[in-house]
Parts: sequence; structure tokens; C-alpha cells
Amino acid sequence: MRARDLMDTRFHTLRPDHSIADAVRTFHAASVAEQKKIFGLMVTDERNRLVGMLSMYDILLFVRPKHAGLWGEMEDLPLADAFDELLQRVKAIRVADIMTAEVVTVGPDTHVMVIIDLMIKRHVRRLPVVEGQEIIGIVYISDVFNQLLKKFF
Amino acid sequence: MPVVKLRHVLSGMLVNEAMRRQVVQLPATASIAKGINHLLKFKVNALLVTDAGGRPGGVVSKTDLIGAFYAGLPVQTPLGDIMIGPPLTCYADDALESALDRMRTDGVHRLYVTGAETTALIGTLSYTDVVALLYRYCRACPKSSSRRGAEAEPDEEGRRLQVREVMSPSVVSFAEDATLAQVIEGLMAHRFGAVLICNGQGAARGVISKTDLVRAYHHGVGLEAAAETVMTAPAVTWDQSAILWEALQHMFIRDVQRLFVHAGDPLRIIGVLSLSDAAQVRSGSCRACLPSRFMTPE
Repeated sequence: MRARDLMDTRFHTLRPDHSIADAVRTFHAASVAEQKKIFGLMVTDERNRLVGMLSMYDILLFVRPKHAGLWGEMEDLPLADAFDELLQRVKAIRVADIMTAEVVTVGPDTHVMVIIDLMIKRHVRRLPVVEGQEIIGIVYISDVFNQLLKKFF
Repeated sequence: MPVVKLRHVLSGMLVNEAMRRQVVQLPATASIAKGINHLLKFKVNALLVTDAGGRPGGVVSKTDLIGAFYAGLPVQTPLGDIMIGPPLTCYADDALESALDRMRTDGVHRLYVTGAETTALIGTLSYTDVVALLYRYCRACPKSSSRRGAEAEPDEEGRRLQVREVMSPSVVSFAEDATLAQVIEGLMAHRFGAVLICNGQGAARGVISKTDLVRAYHHGVGLEAAAETVMTAPAVTWDQSAILWEALQHMFIRDVQRLFVHAGDPLRIIGVLSLSDAAQVRSGSCRACLPSRFMTPE
């Protein structure tokens, strides 16, 4: 089983100059269209070349205060509206500001074992499939899991 | 004459206890655009730049990036062209006090921390992390007012420090229609982290920090753009008679690096309280720490 057998050829992309609100709307639209929860999307330039990935994790990383480690030891903090200002700040940034620019990709002939190994070692749950400069699909960890295990159960 | 040594809450602590175990780094060939992406994504004020062998080569701070913006360098320029090196380092088992003295005398806001192997960096020490340590110290302190309860009458020893005792009593401000080039000139001339943007009546409308300028550079905004188009509004303001503890708490929870201080009218700003200012005090947020600040002949 190789990447081309596992990949989803319908995929949704973001542009680097999209706002984070645009990105969140695209996450929702993609989840509805694909009928599965989509937590990360590819970012492409005007020539449809892959320039990055944006996941919900990246957005959470941005809205989490830098010293959030202090919160754990405080039960008496006025946290109720703490996120309001942080979320306001999200309005000033764009996809290019917080996307992950170092994207791990695979080719259409990459073997499923290599894919699993990459996903585990690099802590990624989706891998764009690229042929030359062109994106031809995306492999989701859920699809890898379901394809592999349905043979046994 | 005996040499005297001031003792603080931080005396006896090691760099190890205050450092952040994260070094955000990029190779010298990476572009300025990628560097800005990393600064914004990981909320750091500087990047470590490594050479072809992966060894630390230099540092690119927000100030350096603003210099590149001002000079009109394209964001595709490699970080290696604007980095300043070599990075200043300290050891994880150095005394925190001596590391802070070094930061002050060398005029830097961070030191990179090395272990036994001096070419491998294991963390960073910055003023904000030191203040976070002080804040935790105060919370754990038995004299802390948060433990005494609101009804307890604070004695002089437990009198808490006020914002006015720690703030910098000067602010640089610009009009809303000032250009970004003018704002950058003002920031560089005064070595401030942020300037206030005021309307025609002199009332505070917003703030432009180094982060705002770096983000504008990344977004392709021109140097002739008006200040109000990139400012963060409103500026976070605080009363000078408020207690330092609450101001620090606000900065940590809301993730802001500075508060603009007023004397009753939030539109009339008289000073700035930054986390760096609070780190200079090197003591907790109340007078209870004073006995630990006795002077000992050496």
C-alpha cells in the first residue's frame, strides 16, 4: 500500500494572506465537505505550490499566553475573559505569520510504513503528496489507520 | 572601605531555575520572511541563527528586523546578512544575579544558555522569564497578600509595591498620521520597545510595538504608511497607584509585555511598565522582601 492508494485527492487549501478567521471558516467548510473532522490545511501560493501548513494547533499556540505555565498553579485567577484580548490579537495576523513553513511531504509511491514512520517521528497527522512541484493529494492519519486495520477487524 | 553586596530574592538562584528550555533557531540561509514567521509563531523576541554546520552563528532580534525594514531590504534576504554575532552565552549553573548583571552591562535582553558542551545551546534566559519566576515566588510566599486575605491590615513590611515605583517615567508618542519610518526613527533613538500613538488632542489611541512593526514588514506594508494603520488599539493602560502584583498578573494572563501608566486619566499617559523594568527590581512585589535585601560586607 502506497501514498497514492491512501491519499485523498480532494483537498482544500489556504493562501498565505488569508486572515485566521478565513482559515477557520475554511476548516469548517472542508470538514462538512469531506464529512470528517479536518484540523489542518495546506497553504499554497498563487501558482499552487505548497508553501506551508496551518493546523488548529498553530492557532492554539498563538492564542495561548507565553507564560501559560503559571496558570496551572493558580486557581484564583480571573481567567473568565482572559482570552478575549488574545483572540482580538488574532485579527491582526495572517496565515503566513503562524503557519508551519517546514512541511514534510511524501511522493505518490511512498510506502505506508514510511508514512507511518514519518507521522510518528515528526508528530504530524497529515502529509501532502507532491509530484514534482504539484500537490496531488493528502494522506490523513485517520485514513492510514482505517485502511490498515479494516483488514483485521 | 568594605565592598558591599546587595542581596535579593534571586540571590542564590541559578540560571537553570529561570531559563526557558526552548531555542528558536534557523539557518543563516533562511529568509527574513521565515524568521518573522518563527518570531510571531513562537512569540520570541529574537532568533538564533546557525551556520552551515548547525553551530550558533549569531542572533537576529526584532530590532535587527526593524532595521532591515527601515533599510528597505526585501523579506527574501537571508537572515545571515542581518544577524549580529556571536550570541552571548552563560552557563546553566551560573548565578542568576551575575547573568542579569551581564545582560544589563552588555545591553542585551537575553542570554543563550549552554551546558558542558559550549557549542550546544540548551535554552534562553530573558527578563520576562525572570519576572515570571519572581511572580511565582510571591505567590508561594507566606507573607503574600493573596494568602493573608483582603481583610488583613497590611503592615509596612507587607506594603505592596506600586506600579509608580517600578515604571519608566517617560513615553515617546507619535500622531496617528506619522509614517512608520518616523515611528522607527523614534524607537531606535530612544531604545524603547513601543511608542504610543496619540490623536490631535494628545490622547492615547493605540500603541506600536516592535512586534507590530515586524508584522507590518512581513505583510508588505510600506514605510510611508500611517501609524494608525498598523497600531494595536487600544493601548493597555494601568493606574500608577495600582499594586505591582496585579499589573504583573495582568501582563502574564493577557500576554502583554508592557502597560502604559496613567495618573487617573487613562488617556494621559505618564510612563511605561514593562516586564524588563520589573526584572530590574529583582525582588518580589511587596516590602516583605526588604529584610532579604540587607547589605553584607564582603
